[in-house]
Amino acid sequence: MTRHTHTTDETGFDYMTNKGVEEQDRDTLGILFAVAIMAVITVSQYLGLL
Amino acid sequence: MNTDSMAINYDLGRKSWFSALYGLKAVLPGLLAMFFVAIFSNNLAGVPNPFTLQNLFAWLDGVIGPVHHQSFFQVLNSNFVWNPLLLGLIIGNVFGVPDCWKRGLSYIHMLMPLGIIMLAPHFMIGHAFKLGAAPILICTVFLFLTATMTLWISKLFKLDDRHGSIIAGGLATGDPHVCAILMPLIKAKGGQVVHSTACVIGFGLVSMFLLPVLGDWIGLTPKAMGLASVVGVGNNAQSLFAAFGSSYEAGRWATWYDVGRHVIMPAGFLYVFIVMFVRKLKRRDDETVMATRGIKTFPIWLGVFVFLWVLTCLHLFKEPAHHAIFEMVKWDFSLAAGALGLSMSFREITQHGFKGVAVTAVAGVLRIVLLLAAIALCAKTGLLAA
Repeated sequence: MTRHTHTTDETGFDYMTNKGVEEQDRDTLGILFAVAIMAVITVSQYLGLL
Repeated sequence: MNTDSMAINYDLGRKSWFSALYGLKAVLPGLLAMFFVAIFSNNLAGVPNPFTLQNLFAWLDGVIGPVHHQSFFQVLNSNFVWNPLLLGLIIGNVFGVPDCWKRGLSYIHMLMPLGIIMLAPHFMIGHAFKLGAAPILICTVFLFLTATMTLWISKLFKLDDRHGSIIAGGLATGDPHVCAILMPLIKAKGGQVVHSTACVIGFGLVSMFLLPVLGDWIGLTPKAMGLASVVGVGNNAQSLFAAFGSSYEAGRWATWYDVGRHVIMPAGFLYVFIVMFVRKLKRRDDETVMATRGIKTFPIWLGVFVFLWVLTCLHLFKEPAHHAIFEMVKWDFSLAAGALGLSMSFREITQHGFKGVAVTAVAGVLRIVLLLAAIALCAKTGLLAA
């Protein structure tokens, strides 16, 4: 199998591959950070800080 | 090492969700690469850098002058997603991508759901109520009709179902951003996403000249022409180009009606995803079904997006909080698009050939014909007041 030089490093890590537990963890972190950012901004507005 | 052994390695070393962030030393070069691509592409909140692609295009817009009241690069859909993608694509193809960047660039998979969730406050359905029932109905019906027709035509043309889904989302919503939003949901390749985007923008460029001619030929009023441009051309500045190309009044009506297309955009990508996901569930063993393959259950982050979209419609996110959140979205997508641009060669985009172009053209022309017939009928029956 040929190595995709743009995305795969010499150890075989392909940064465009997203599957399994790693994908679930990335999704969870995405949700956590998104909700945290939106909550901070929205609560700031309701508290009159924005 | 194949992707399965990569996954096993990750599982063995995993301690918590935060293991997907890897170590700072491993990700820093890639994060810096994304950061510099982002800040040299767009004018981002908190960065006083004047040397951006966005400013270069704005300067060129000033030299070229307005075209039908629109900026030339806006008509070409230059924005906070495509600017960093273009820059990443050029850097990746000219200089290559060093191995030390790759761990950091993998943050694209976290940034995509993050950015899409934060987009929710952008779509408040109540903003479209001022348009009246008939225009809202036309926008909604043609969103679902175009998506369905495009999926069907792509099947007829035997186009890869991932490619067809991305085109369906972009064309139906009149928003090429949807091509990128659908990428993690459809599990499409980067080359398919960029090719689909080029198809949608390219067809928009053709239809923005075609629609005013057809509209004037069947005698549409400026008001009807404004609505026809928004639904039949879409892509924001391209629809305004088409409407202003017909008459100044039609252009003003298009700016009025554009909100109707904009606020229901999430329904378009949700519809395409659900149709393709259900299809995959029904045909689990069919190897030709590629779209959404790898997604076992409805993604939780998409559920969070829908929940926040409902809260948005209940007016939870007010100004300036919505504005501040959208600035974060620009940061997020600028970083992610930089990583996406770096991930592919020009060859990966062009290898998809002309089948996608043909599907977009056939579906787009069919939509325009049906739309003009529907609008003319509404105008005749008084449903769309002159």
